[in-house]
Amino acid sequence: MSGPRSLSLPRGARVRAGPGGRPLAVDGQPVAHVRESWLVEDRWWTSQPLRRRYWELISERGRDIVVFHDLIDGRWFRQR
Amino acid sequence: MDQPIAMTPQYTELHCHSAYSFLDGTSLPEELVAAALELGHTALALTDHDGVYGSMEFAHSARALGLRPIHGAELSLSDGRHLTLLVESERGWRNLCQLLTAAHAGTRERPREPTPPSVSLDDVRAHSEGLVCLTGCAERGVHDEPGVRALREAFGTERLRVELQRPFLDGDRARNGALAALAARLRLRCVATGDVHAHTSARVPLQDAFVAARHHLTLESSEPQRRPNGSHVLASPAAMAARFADHPAAVAESAALAERLDFDLTGDLGYRYPGVEDRTAQRRLAELCGELLHDRYSGVALSEARARLESELAVIETLSLAGFFLLHHEILELSREVALEVRGRDSPRALLPPGRGRGSSVSSIVCYLTGLSHIDPLAGGLSMGRFLNPELTSLPDIDIDFPRDIREVLIRRVHERYGHDRAALVATFPSFRTRGAIRELGKALGLPPGEIERVARGADSFSRAIDREVSSALGRRAQGSRWEWLERLAREALGLPRHISQHPGGMIVSTRPLIDCCPVLPAAMEGRQLVQWDKDSCADAGFLKIDLLGLGMLSAVERTVELIAIKRGERIDLSRIPFDDPETFSAIQRAETTGVFQVESRAQMQSLRRTRPENLAELAIQVAIIRPGPIQGGAVNPYIERRQRLREDHAYEPPCLHPSLAGVLRETLGTIIFQDQVLEVAQAFAGFGPGEADGLRRAMSRKRASVAIERYRRRFIEGAAAHVGASEQLAQRVWEMVAGFAGFGFPKAHSAAFGLLAYQSTWLRVHYGPEFLCALLNEQPMGFYPPDSLAHEAQRRGIELRRVDINASLAECSVENGGAIRIGLGYVRGVHAEEVAALVSAREECGGFSSVAELAARVPAARPSLEQLAWSGACDSIAGQRRRALWELGVSIPSRRVKGGAQLALALDSGTAPSLRELGRWETLLADYATTSVTLEDHALAILRPRLDGVSTSIELGTLRHGAPVSVAGLVVARQRPETASGVVFMLIEDELGCVNLIVPPAIYERRRHIVRAEPLILARGRLERPPAGGGTINVLVREIRTLDEELADTVAAPLGHLPERREEPAAGSGFRAVAPPVQSFASGRRR
Repeated sequence: MSGPRSLSLPRGARVRAGPGGRPLAVDGQPVAHVRESWLVEDRWWTSQPLRRRYWELISERGRDIVVFHDLIDGRWFRQR
Repeated sequence: MDQPIAMTPQYTELHCHSAYSFLDGTSLPEELVAAALELGHTALALTDHDGVYGSMEFAHSARALGLRPIHGAELSLSDGRHLTLLVESERGWRNLCQLLTAAHAGTRERPREPTPPSVSLDDVRAHSEGLVCLTGCAERGVHDEPGVRALREAFGTERLRVELQRPFLDGDRARNGALAALAARLRLRCVATGDVHAHTSARVPLQDAFVAARHHLTLESSEPQRRPNGSHVLASPAAMAARFADHPAAVAESAALAERLDFDLTGDLGYRYPGVEDRTAQRRLAELCGELLHDRYSGVALSEARARLESELAVIETLSLAGFFLLHHEILELSREVALEVRGRDSPRALLPPGRGRGSSVSSIVCYLTGLSHIDPLAGGLSMGRFLNPELTSLPDIDIDFPRDIREVLIRRVHERYGHDRAALVATFPSFRTRGAIRELGKALGLPPGEIERVARGADSFSRAIDREVSSALGRRAQGSRWEWLERLAREALGLPRHISQHPGGMIVSTRPLIDCCPVLPAAMEGRQLVQWDKDSCADAGFLKIDLLGLGMLSAVERTVELIAIKRGERIDLSRIPFDDPETFSAIQRAETTGVFQVESRAQMQSLRRTRPENLAELAIQVAIIRPGPIQGGAVNPYIERRQRLREDHAYEPPCLHPSLAGVLRETLGTIIFQDQVLEVAQAFAGFGPGEADGLRRAMSRKRASVAIERYRRRFIEGAAAHVGASEQLAQRVWEMVAGFAGFGFPKAHSAAFGLLAYQSTWLRVHYGPEFLCALLNEQPMGFYPPDSLAHEAQRRGIELRRVDINASLAECSVENGGAIRIGLGYVRGVHAEEVAALVSAREECGGFSSVAELAARVPAARPSLEQLAWSGACDSIAGQRRRALWELGVSIPSRRVKGGAQLALALDSGTAPSLRELGRWETLLADYATTSVTLEDHALAILRPRLDGVSTSIELGTLRHGAPVSVAGLVVARQRPETASGVVFMLIEDELGCVNLIVPPAIYERRRHIVRAEPLILARGRLERPPAGGGTINVLVREIRTLDEELADTVAAPLGHLPERREEPAAGSGFRAVAPPVQSFASGRRR
């Protein structure tokens, strides 16, 4: 057994975004619907500030996907 | 060609917090107004939490800049939910005020632990008329169907909107969807709002830090309480429309609703002061003054006084102010009753008036006759223009000073007389200053407490250069992002209101319930209440503010008179003492004024030796001269030089810039010292009318009025050419004299009133030294010097002071037979007043204490209190010395507190104490400062003197020549850095023989800032300055400053051997620093 392990760590994602940053496709899967979008801005007083725009999406195949756009380095991640 | 149709979306922000949502909102109302205009808004609502503290400020700045203000508040319900209320009509404003009053009514049931304000839904229902209700914010709004239905019953569909917000949280869409569906079911419209907490995204970090500070948490630990992102910043209508793209109707509704909300707070709120509409007032005032005229004046003075009275009454009639004067008179009569009650019928204090006028009102003969002033304006040559003129546009100010005890009761009595719904105190809003901001925000940032404290203590009160404070305190650049953030946050917080507090004495009374005009809330002190507006907002609302101020010196003077009667059997009427007493004036001229009113400070003393006032008129000038106005106007040195020349040569004619000024500036030898002279110069030289001249004075006393001032300047120069034919060059020179005065200065009438009290207190000091000192010691904190310095100065002039003693001291300091002063038991810190009272009454009932064991057995006091008493030396008379007293206390059996009193212990024999070493001189000093903050034994410098090589005493300085190099050392008594002195710091240090003035140039200050600001024992090297025109004043211009610690460390070895007590080597530093007496330190009053 290895030690404790973090669950659902974000992993990089390929996202094609449209106007207003709205994802149109995630890892090649077209997005059918946006369920919610939220914004996290925190830890600005530390050396690792956090600015993320989250999107909860439904793919055309009917999957619920959560991705976030790191607004500091511009990369996209998939949370689930 | 067709104009393109503007596609600007219609949105009005209806939910917006300013910094008057304390520790939540981060922008001043005017910042919000400016930002709103810039973003393209045409209207804006201000909805602070449970208050309208900033509403008047908001209304005026919005009107001035061209934005339409909408008023409201976010109201807390008793179940913790929030409603947004907006005012539609005058009735709605009244209801909002009543609701907010109700919300705060129960918040001070336990004065020390205020509870948060809230109202019930029933209250809201009862006060819904004229208000529009939004269902509240995303997090804590009313979102359930029964709740919204209840609101619909109260407000109807026309005045209730379901509030939609989009704070960019997970769940926004679901919530807004559900709310929109609920609205549709209940046939209600939705409205979009932004829950704004900042006018710019630059304030978002400060908002986070405020939330952390409000919850006493760090930023890290306050994550659940903080907003998760920066979406609460005021946004443009277009951005808000985009944010609510799913709910366009709710966006449009915000603008449509705003159209309806046109209540104007700057209109008449219906406030009237009692008596304003009394048709008989003018006649009654004239009769009252007429009757008293003959008591006060006779002969030639009578006809002169009658003429003055008639002209004043005519102005009062023109301005319809008779009721205003009668109201003040009525309150003064009320204070007479209070005074009788507080002082007792037969008290020697009964000869004193209950209060005294201050400020410009002292120039009025109506005030003099009605008792509102104690200065005869004719004898004092006081003109009434500054106080009262036919062109006056706002109510004049009548300020009255009272002894503290009378004022306490009077404020309560005014509440009772006019009704709790019709009388309240004015609020103030203490704002963030550098030190507080560093402390509070530093804590939120999780910085090390020790380092925060070092930075905070070293910081200048109003400094904006916080990075410098950090680098100076910590000896490095503010490295690390948190220190940089502290810099930025503290800078942004400066000037934002921090909380509500009560004005020192301003009261509002009203004919109709005040809560119809402004919310009222209970103050921390029982029986008092506050309106939610500060003095400027109250003035803007047309409220009459009556100032009932507490003046420590009046209390001290009353105590002195009482003590003299008790001790010497003499009844003194201070209004009938000789006002030309040579001994008193001689003391003033020698600057022997420690402890007296106004002319006791370091700067005043230096100036006294040069001006050498010879009568009350000159003393009044003296009181006014050490003020920013005369200093910046360049009046001080010319006045002093001319005064000195005039003393030498009676025929000397002081120069005057223009013959038209000769009259108005004669008394002050051609300089502007009094505020009224600004008005008089403007009238005599530039032909201003009285109203215009007063407008100039007001513009000068306001902060950002440069545009207005420039307009006045042009008018002044043109006026001078037309009125007296002055050249532009000359007019400009006179203008500079006037403009230089722009800072704060005293009106002549005020100076006369204060000068009189300065004289009276000096007279008491000269003729009744022990009683006066005793009164000062009992009225602390007051004045410039801490009790320790007052005691030492008194000892130097032969007044005996005796240490605190459980068998001799009363609770307060007392004058013992033979004129010695006994320090009171109340001076021992950490001993509660009830314990002191119990000790004194135990002694009075069954005689003194013969042992420490007996003390412990008979007096129900906590062990730490008894230990403090023992350590203070109060038991020395029975135990011989302090260590022994402590030992005896340790083996004694204390009395026990039981219900309804104390169960006293049997005094058992505690056996023989071991041999304990007596306290050395330095240890005694530390123990004294640690317990009473006063030492009557050896001065610190007397103990350290043998180890200080080549350091002159304060007496020796008198024998040195001007310019001689010199070293001095002492205990710091005051540190000052006047804004007028361009960075120079003045310090007053005390050694065993007297005081020394130090002048610390900016460069030295910057280099040794933390020594200058915080060290109690210092050594300074520099040059002696005794200018020929200084009247004997001696200063040391500092070249080098260090702590005595550093100095003693360098001179180790040799002198140590000579010390009588080798074992307790005085380390001047840390031990002393912890207990050093609090002194006047920069702008922050007395602190350690």
